[in-house]
Amino acid sequence: MRDKILYLLGAAAILIVARNIYVIAGLPGEEAQGAIFKIIFFHVPLAITALTCGTVACVASILYLVKKEMKYDALAVSVTEVGLAFLAGNLITGSIWARIIWGVWWAWDVRLTSALVCWILYASYLMIRHAVEEPTQRAKLAAVVSIFAFIDVPIVILSIRLFRTQHPGPVFFSSSGSFPHDWSMIMMWNLFAMMMLGAVMTMIRLRQEEVQREIDSLRRLAHAF
Amino acid sequence: MHALLPFVLAQAVTPDDLVREAARLQRNYEHLSYGLIVAWFVLVVYVLMMVSRERRLKREIASLKAMLEERPKK
Repeated sequence: MRDKILYLLGAAAILIVARNIYVIAGLPGEEAQGAIFKIIFFHVPLAITALTCGTVACVASILYLVKKEMKYDALAVSVTEVGLAFLAGNLITGSIWARIIWGVWWAWDVRLTSALVCWILYASYLMIRHAVEEPTQRAKLAAVVSIFAFIDVPIVILSIRLFRTQHPGPVFFSSSGSFPHDWSMIMMWNLFAMMMLGAVMTMIRLRQEEVQREIDSLRRLAHAF
Repeated sequence: MHALLPFVLAQAVTPDDLVREAARLQRNYEHLSYGLIVAWFVLVVYVLMMVSRERRLKREIASLKAMLEERPKK
C-alpha cells in the first residue's frame, strides 16, 4: 500500500513537470537573454530542493546525536543522497546557462564555488559512510560530518546577498526581483513538483535503508548459528 | 531627425546581423535543451541506481531468509 502511494506521488510529480515543460516551451524568451533564460525554471527549483535536503539531513543528524535512534541516521543518508543528485542537476544547468550568458562554463565566484563545495562536502559524507564498518560508529561520525557540511548551506543561500558576485542577485523571495506573476506561478509549480519528487525518492531510499538494516541483522543471525 | 530614422535603422540592421541573431537564438535553444536533458539525465541515472539497489536488496534478503530456514533442518 505504502509503495503504491509512493509510486502514485512520483507519477503525479512527473506529470506536473511534464505539463510545466509544455507551458514553459510556449513562453516567450526573456528580453535580454532569450530562450536560455527559461532554464531558470529548473535551475532554481533544483537548488531549493537540494538545499532543503541538506537542511533535513542536518536536523536528522542532530536528532540522531540526541536520541541515538538509527531511523534518524537512515533519514539523513537517504535525504543527502537525493539532495546530491538534485544539486548535481543544479550545477550542470547553471554551468550551461553560464556558457551562453558569460561565455564560460565556470566562474570561481562565491555562489558557484560555495555550491560546488557543498556538493563535495555531501559527497564526502557518503564516502565516509562507506569507510566505517561498525553501524553505530558510522552513524555518529556521519552525523557530525553532516552537521559540519550544513554550515555551507546558508553560505550558498546568502552569498548573492552578502557578496558582489558574477551570479545574478535573487529573483525570488526578494523585493528587488522583477519576475512576472504568471512566470512565478510556473516556477512555484515546478518547485512543488521537484520537492514532491525529492520526497518520494527519499522515502524509497529510506525504505531501502530499512531493508539493508534487516539484511545486516539477518547476517548477524546467520553467523551466530 | 525623424525623417532620417528609417534610413538609420536600415543602415543599422544588415542581413548579416539577422543571420547572427538567428544563430544566437538557435544556440540559445540548443543549450537550453542540453541543460534540461542533462539535468533530467542525472535524476534518471539516480533513479536507475535506486532500482538496481532495490533488486540487489531483494535478492540478498531472499537468499538470507532461505539460508536461515535451511539451517535448523540440518
